[in-house]
Amino acid sequence: MSNDKDILPKINLEKGGFHPINQTKDFILNILEDLGFTHIDGPEIETEKFNFDMLNIKKTHPARQMHDTFYLNNKSYVMRTHTSPVQIRAMLESDPPFAFSSGGKVYRKDDDATHLPMFHQVEGIVIDSNVTFSHLKDLIYKIIYKLFDEKINIRFRPSYFPFTEPSAEVDILSESGDWLEILGCGIVNPIVIENCQIDSKKFNGLAFGLGVERIAMLKYGVNDIRDFYKSNLDFLCQFK
Amino acid sequence: MKIPYKYFKVAIEEKPSINSLSNKFFQLGHEHQIVNNIFDFEITPNRGDCLSLDGLLRDLKVFFNIQNHNEVYTNKIDNLRIEFKNNSKSFCPKISFAKIKIKNSVNDYKGELKNYFDDLNIPTNNFFTDISNYLMFETGQPTHCYDFDKLTGKIILEEIDYDASFDSVVGKKINLSGNNHVFKMNNEIINLAGVMGGLSTSCSESTSAILLECAYFQPDSIMGKAVKYDINSEAAHKFERGVDFLSHDRVIRRFIQIVKNHTEIEEVQIISENYKEFKSIAIPLEHEKINDILGSKISEDEYLCRLNALGFVIDNDKILVPSYRNDISSQNDLAEEIARSIGYDNIPLKKIEIQSVKNDKNLFEDKIRSFLITHGFFEVINNPFTSAMEENSMIVDNPLDSNKKYLRKVMINSLIDNLTYNERRQKDSVKLFEISDVYYFEKDELKTKKYLSIIASGRVGKNYQDFSKKINAKYMKGIFKSLFPELNADFKILPRKNLDSKSQSEIIYLEIDIEVLKKTRIEFNKKIDISTEFTQYQGISDFPSSYRDLSFLIKDPSEIEALEKLIFKFHNQILKEVFIFDYFFNKEKNFIKLGFRFVFQSKEKTLTIEEIDNIMNSIIKTTSQLNSVEIPGI
Repeated sequence: MSNDKDILPKINLEKGGFHPINQTKDFILNILEDLGFTHIDGPEIETEKFNFDMLNIKKTHPARQMHDTFYLNNKSYVMRTHTSPVQIRAMLESDPPFAFSSGGKVYRKDDDATHLPMFHQVEGIVIDSNVTFSHLKDLIYKIIYKLFDEKINIRFRPSYFPFTEPSAEVDILSESGDWLEILGCGIVNPIVIENCQIDSKKFNGLAFGLGVERIAMLKYGVNDIRDFYKSNLDFLCQFK
Repeated sequence: MKIPYKYFKVAIEEKPSINSLSNKFFQLGHEHQIVNNIFDFEITPNRGDCLSLDGLLRDLKVFFNIQNHNEVYTNKIDNLRIEFKNNSKSFCPKISFAKIKIKNSVNDYKGELKNYFDDLNIPTNNFFTDISNYLMFETGQPTHCYDFDKLTGKIILEEIDYDASFDSVVGKKINLSGNNHVFKMNNEIINLAGVMGGLSTSCSESTSAILLECAYFQPDSIMGKAVKYDINSEAAHKFERGVDFLSHDRVIRRFIQIVKNHTEIEEVQIISENYKEFKSIAIPLEHEKINDILGSKISEDEYLCRLNALGFVIDNDKILVPSYRNDISSQNDLAEEIARSIGYDNIPLKKIEIQSVKNDKNLFEDKIRSFLITHGFFEVINNPFTSAMEENSMIVDNPLDSNKKYLRKVMINSLIDNLTYNERRQKDSVKLFEISDVYYFEKDELKTKKYLSIIASGRVGKNYQDFSKKINAKYMKGIFKSLFPELNADFKILPRKNLDSKSQSEIIYLEIDIEVLKKTRIEFNKKIDISTEFTQYQGISDFPSSYRDLSFLIKDPSEIEALEKLIFKFHNQILKEVFIFDYFFNKEKNFIKLGFRFVFQSKEKTLTIEEIDNIMNSIIKTTSQLNSVEIPGI
């Protein structure tokens, strides 16, 4: 026993961990960065103009009702219901072509076993001179293949979003044989492009959005969305 | 919206299987589930025209030959003279009424009426109301039946902007506020237009004559009324999404025919009032634009053929949109129609090229996050709603919980909650952090700050060097100093009074503006890459954990590694965690003492002493094979 150090047992310094939702969000944003998207950020508190009007969500749209959206300080502001206003702000300040990605917290007036008043989204938008639904499909396939694997079955089906036309929802086939909705996407509505002072005759766009919690639940095998926000160390330490 | 498969099958010549039909509906964008051969649709809000059996059959015409065998009353009908005044013509640009009087009451239903209530297990009400409900299901057009004998005055449709109330047809008193469109009679409200009728003029089983109302109401004015007044109204759901402006005559004649199929009609009269002429939306016929949007190569013939099948009319160089499609007004809308009919999955992929312009805006925060994680901290995310009002806090107009109607301006309460939550779950070392924006209102301006908040309490770590050390301000300052050497961070000791936790350890807390941190030198320049492997979550236990300590006396230090190997490789479902919490080297007597802590927890139950002892005995037995290792006292 010549030296104390020789006989000391190893010390395993316990590492902490990123929150699994932020890990998933960053994982998706990294995929988009690899595909060429430029990351942008924006405020979580928005005006109705940026959260709704600019996105072709009409005054009477159900999403704007008090039972769906949190309003602040006598309706002066809203808590953003999606990350799309981040893209609107960036579009107003940029000349196409461009491809932006954004991710972060969004808020809707929901609270039950499958919905929370705060959750996370990642969205992407491409504005260029001749992008088509065929390009959108290529992009979505690339994203989903990187998120899951290239053997996965993907289904596109028509849907409705005021800010895209045509709009689609995309499902993947689970191991149990059920189709699971993964993301929404579409061709950017020319009204939105014009709202952002971009000539819709010269430029068109693709857009998509994913719910981060949904992807995290699938990837980690978490069944209850509420577990993500209990800050339980027994839970958090499993995602180191 | 539930529709039995057999209703489609009977109308479709090709008689598709239920699975084939299901695939076609998904292709068209009509999401659904199937239970007991009944489709349960979730129609997107832009497709009000598909909120009916006829509407969905109309959409299926792009794939199948549809036979609509529904009988319509074709006899000439006399004009109805009715005392009615429409003071809200912009809200209601078209309204029709029919008076229908029957000779004998009807008790037994037949045909489609009987099938509808039997197949979908819907309780019946009275003959006329039941036909009205059935026709809303079949055609998508809501109608309302007034008991003709209860109409004692002129009916007036008008907008009111004062508080009023009326008893609805389901017996619930509705208190109206703000602007509403109502039907009134003798100055009393008899119907909240497009949402729900009133009790005073409602039909009953003894009703023998009705005034049938069939109207077009502006969707925007109906929107949100049913939710506002907590009324479950299928009619409002349909009016909100838009009904067919041109359907009145057919719907009323269908109504009369169903009555006629059940009993003899004594009297029937009809009147229709149009205040606005319907004009089809016309979109220029530019089929290449559709290919430009979709990236497809569809010929003009195919384009027109597909639109035709969906009910669009080709008028020279224009596409005329059918009256029931109020969601179509642009080339992009037409592109979606073509894409639906082809099938989104049948549109080929085209390689997309994106020119990359990279930026890494969050690198600074990522460095802080990485540093803290390296030092054993866990990242948490909290929602911003709080009961604590601070000066200039933002107020949520419509909070989910009226006790939490403010947005947090500081993060301390969230982090304290996170700490005590874990302490109540037997955690004796809690190290958490959160980076989040906070929002507040100052001098009529919205302000934002991004804070880093750190909370820590309990043991420094679970290793023999840190186990007996407690987290204190000095320890935290030391860690933070190694991240920001030039910053004197103001770590606070938080009082434990009134906290829901039995722990007595000091709570150390820091909340600091990220912008302040950005102004000082950061020493840590690594960013931990997030894992691309997603570890499968194993679930957590709701049952308490227990621990046992074992102290080993090791005479030959070369055996330490062998002992560690044996213990750390020992696996058991309820053995959750093992770590060395104590190390002692006696130089004089030349031996080492190692203390191991074994933590047990089951996901299924509270463990018994015996269950834990059994595993401890196995561990002791396993380690007994090492010659120079003893367990004092055993």
